[in-house]
Order: sequence, then structure tokens, then C-alpha cells
Amino acid sequence: MVPLEPILVSVGLMFVIGLSCLMVKRDMVRILIGVEILFNAANLCFIALSTQVPGFVDPYAHSMVMMAIVLDGTVIAVGLAMVMNVYKHYKTIDIRKLRRLKW
Amino acid sequence: MVEVISQGINLPLPLLVLLIGGLTSLMVGLLSERIGVARLREVWMIIVSSATIISIYYLNQSVQKAGVIVISVWGQLPPFGGCFEIDTLSIFMSGSVAVLGFLVAIYSISYMEKESRLTEFYTLMTFMMAGMTGVVMAGDLFTLFVFWELMGLSSYVLVAFLKSRWGPIEAGFKYLVMSATAGAFLILSMSIIYGMTGTLNFAAIADSLRGAPTSPWIMALFSTLVVGFGVKSAIVPLHTWLPDAHPEAPSPISAMLSGIVIETGLYALARVLFLTFDPTMLKLPIAFLAVLTMTLANVMALLQSDIKRLLAYSSIAQVGYMLVGLAAGTAYGFMGLFLHVFNHSMMKGMAFLASGSIVHETGTRDINSLRGIGKMMPVTSISLFIALLGLGGVPGTNGFISKYHLFSAAFGSGLGWLGIMGVLNSALSMAYYIRIMQVLLGSPKEGFKANEAPILMLTVTMAMAVIIVILGIWPAPLISFASSASQSLVEGLSTYIGAVLG
Repeated sequence: MVPLEPILVSVGLMFVIGLSCLMVKRDMVRILIGVEILFNAANLCFIALSTQVPGFVDPYAHSMVMMAIVLDGTVIAVGLAMVMNVYKHYKTIDIRKLRRLKW
Repeated sequence: MVEVISQGINLPLPLLVLLIGGLTSLMVGLLSERIGVARLREVWMIIVSSATIISIYYLNQSVQKAGVIVISVWGQLPPFGGCFEIDTLSIFMSGSVAVLGFLVAIYSISYMEKESRLTEFYTLMTFMMAGMTGVVMAGDLFTLFVFWELMGLSSYVLVAFLKSRWGPIEAGFKYLVMSATAGAFLILSMSIIYGMTGTLNFAAIADSLRGAPTSPWIMALFSTLVVGFGVKSAIVPLHTWLPDAHPEAPSPISAMLSGIVIETGLYALARVLFLTFDPTMLKLPIAFLAVLTMTLANVMALLQSDIKRLLAYSSIAQVGYMLVGLAAGTAYGFMGLFLHVFNHSMMKGMAFLASGSIVHETGTRDINSLRGIGKMMPVTSISLFIALLGLGGVPGTNGFISKYHLFSAAFGSGLGWLGIMGVLNSALSMAYYIRIMQVLLGSPKEGFKANEAPILMLTVTMAMAVIIVILGIWPAPLISFASSASQSLVEGLSTYIGAVLG
């Protein structure tokens, strides 16, 4: 069995990194990278918890994470397509220029 | 009492119809461009959505006979593989999805006729319906997540569909980033559930987690679940994407998003929270969120001058009313919740479709410059009028019936202050509905001209107005259906668990 605590601590750290990346970054591509870090943290948590069954590693979590990776990839792809469209309109991918929609 | 289908590769019939319909809709679109037959895609979309309604009708008959139907996807028996678990509640929700989808499909024939890329539009709409049907029929979190993302992906693209303008793209990106973050929180909550129980099957989760003593992990699970499902269902601290995304989408899609997509999020929240926790534990936090959601959304809606944005804020307020039913936690409260889901899908769908007709004809969404539109577009205005009365909860419309049940459920379960807050908010919401009505009835400015909407759009809005009034005067059949749906969730919990675990 792999010790669980270090992995859970790193999952927490990755969540903090991802969320702060969403909050402070200006570049839209970097924001998408922040989303990807969040997804990877959650997937890592899944994999870490699947090793905690004594004797074997549960394949159910692995199939779940495989599917989740595919879904993350598609979400990020759609996001990148939107970034391209933003670039066409604004000639920049700075999120702070996109302030025309007010609350 | 339980029917288990586990041979070969299986999908529930409505889902199969929608997925195959979505895949073939691409080919049909290509064909209609090649051989030059106009409107083939639209006809195909209507065939698919009406076939979905028919297949839900047949599925309903077998569900009524069997109680709960368990369908395992790849021939593995649950709880080890993915499965669909269909009870009356799933039928109720998927029926709402299919009915609204059918009406919106008819409406978008004439609304979208000047746009290009219609093949993509109808394909994405079919897949969005497929995603929602899958979410409400899923029997484990894994299946739910896959269809959740299918619904999400289609709706991101549909929000940003009119990409020649800046608004939809900005709103779509905002929606995507917030929803994807929520998706990450959803996977985290799933991993916590997996770590605690070793499975993701709803029945097995309910069997082992319900009534577990409160621990930090349980609290972490609760908060990640609320964040994960709450962003899609626009609960207030997480709502900021909605007032941008819903108005910027094309109007039929606004009707779908406000009418049923956020309610699907609410369904998933209600189902998973109810299966994982004891309702007494949920009461206070959810009641707090409900009050926050409806108060803030109503106050914000008062300040809007854009008609579709106002309706979007009103959707958030309606989500707040629905949360009242979840906070009550009784079968009666859930009955109010799901009744309001269907009624809201009719009222808000219709309000968006009618205001979409107005926007389509006049080209502006500013309320003040629409003064006197009631004289130019009488039929659309009458149906919008009925929808607004229903949203405000005036007796004689179906909005009154479901709000009455929601608030009396709050009183019945010892949350009297929540019921009072709900009634006060409902009165406050009337203020901005009356503002729109005043604009509709006012006298037009000089030189302001608009034509009545095309006949197909009028038919759809009038049909929905008739449904609203009929269900307001004679609500008994819908109430008994919603009540059996909520009983299959609350009192049929042991059947639901027993269907998988035996």
C-alpha cells in the first residue's frame, strides 16, 4: 500500500494552485491550464484512493479516471476553440479586456 | 418488483433514440445540403424528439409495472459496472426534457432559419437532450458524470453558437471555465465517496453512507457536492455565469438552458444529496442557500433593463424556490420541487420563447425601447403575459400550484421562516414582472414598428400558454404523477437500494 497522506496533501496543494491560477492569471490559455490542474488533482485523488484496498489495486477507479481524462480533454479543446474566437474578435487573449458583460 | 436487464450492451430506449438520432442528424444535414432538400434537418429533429416522447411513454408503462428497472450498460452486473436505474422520478424528469425539447425544436425551425451551421445546431441540441436524459436515468455517479459532461459540452458550444458577435463568446468562455471548475470539484467529491465506500453506485452509496456519523470527510463531501452540482444549477454564490450565458445564447437555447438544464443540475443535487445524507442534516445549509438565492436574484432582477437578462435572474430566483423543497426534505417537499421543475420548464421556456420572438422581430432586448410592443404583437404578448403571471405565482396558473406546495412543505417541516421568506420573495418578484407587463401594454412611441412573429413561433408559444392555464386550473394528473415520482425517491428508497443490492 502506498502511504495516503503525502498524496492527499499534494492534491490539496494542486487544488490551491489551480484555483489561484484561475483567479490571478490574465492569459486565457493559462486559465484553461488552471482548469486542467484542477482536473488532474481530482484524478490523482481517485488513483491514490484506489490503492488503499489491501491486496490489489481497484480497476474501477482506473476506468473512471480514463474516462474523466477524455472528458477533460474535450472540455479543454472546446475552451481553446473559444479562445481562438476571442482572439479573432479582440486581437488579444487577455481576460481583462473581456469586460463588456457586467453583472 | 424489480426488472433487471443485463444481457449484452443495453441503453434505455429514450437515450438510444436520442444518441442515434444525434449521430444520424449529422448525416441527414449533409444529405440535405447535397441533394438540396430544405428543412430535412428540422424535420429529422422533430421526428427524433417526438420518438423520444413516445419511447418515454412506453418506458413509463414498464416502470409502472416493475417499480424500478436496472439496466447494466456493458453486461456487468451493478454495483461493479456502470448502470442505469430508472424509477418514476427519472421518467418524470426525462418527460419534462422531452416535452420542452419537442416544443423548442418546432420553435427553432422559424427562429433559426436565417442562421448558418444549422446541422451543428440540431446535432448539439439532440446531444444536450441525450445528456440530460442520461443524467436523470443514471444509476451510478460514473454514468451520471459522463452524461453530465455531454450535456455540459453541448451547452457550452450552443451558448457560444452565434460566434460572429462578441457577447456569446465571452459568455460561453465564462460558462465553460466555471462549469469545468465545478466538474473538477465533482470528480473530487466522487473520489471522496469512492474512498469512503469503495463504489460509486447510488444504491451502494445510500446503503453505506446514509446515517453515517458526521466527520470532517462527510463535511468535505457535502461541500464539494454542493459546489460541483451547484454551479450548473446556479445556486447563488456560484450563479455568476448564468445571467451572461442564458441571454447571449440563441433564444430557443435560452429556453432549454433556463427551462431544463439548470433543473437537471438541481435533480442531480437532490438525488445525490438525498441518497448520501440524512435529510435532517441538509435542512439548515440548504435553507440558507435557498434564502440567499431567491433574495439576491430577485433584487438583482429588479435592476435589469435587458429583458432576457431579467428572465435569467428570475430563473435563479426560481431555483431558490425549488431549493425550499429540497430543504424541507419530505416527500411532500420533493413533490413540490419536481412539480415546480415541470411547471418552470413550461413557464420560463415560454417566457424565453416569447421574448425571443420579440427580439427576433424588433432586434432589441432593451425593455424601455420595447414600450407598446403589445399593440404590434398581440398574440406573443398575451402568451408572455400568461407566462409572467405564472412565474409570479398568480392563482389560475400552474406557478401558483407548485409554489403553494413548496411553501406549505416548508411550513410542514418546521421551517416556517423559510416559507415566509419564499412568499415575500414571490411578492417581490411580481414587481419586475409587472414592469414588463406595463411595457407590453404601454402606448408605443412614434415610428416604432414591428410585425407579429411567424406562425410556427406563435403556435408554440400559444400551446405552452394553454398548457400553463390548463395545469393551473386542473392540476390533479400532474400532481399525482409528481407525487408518485417523489415517493419513488423518498419512500421507495429501500426498493431503489434493493434493486441493485438484492
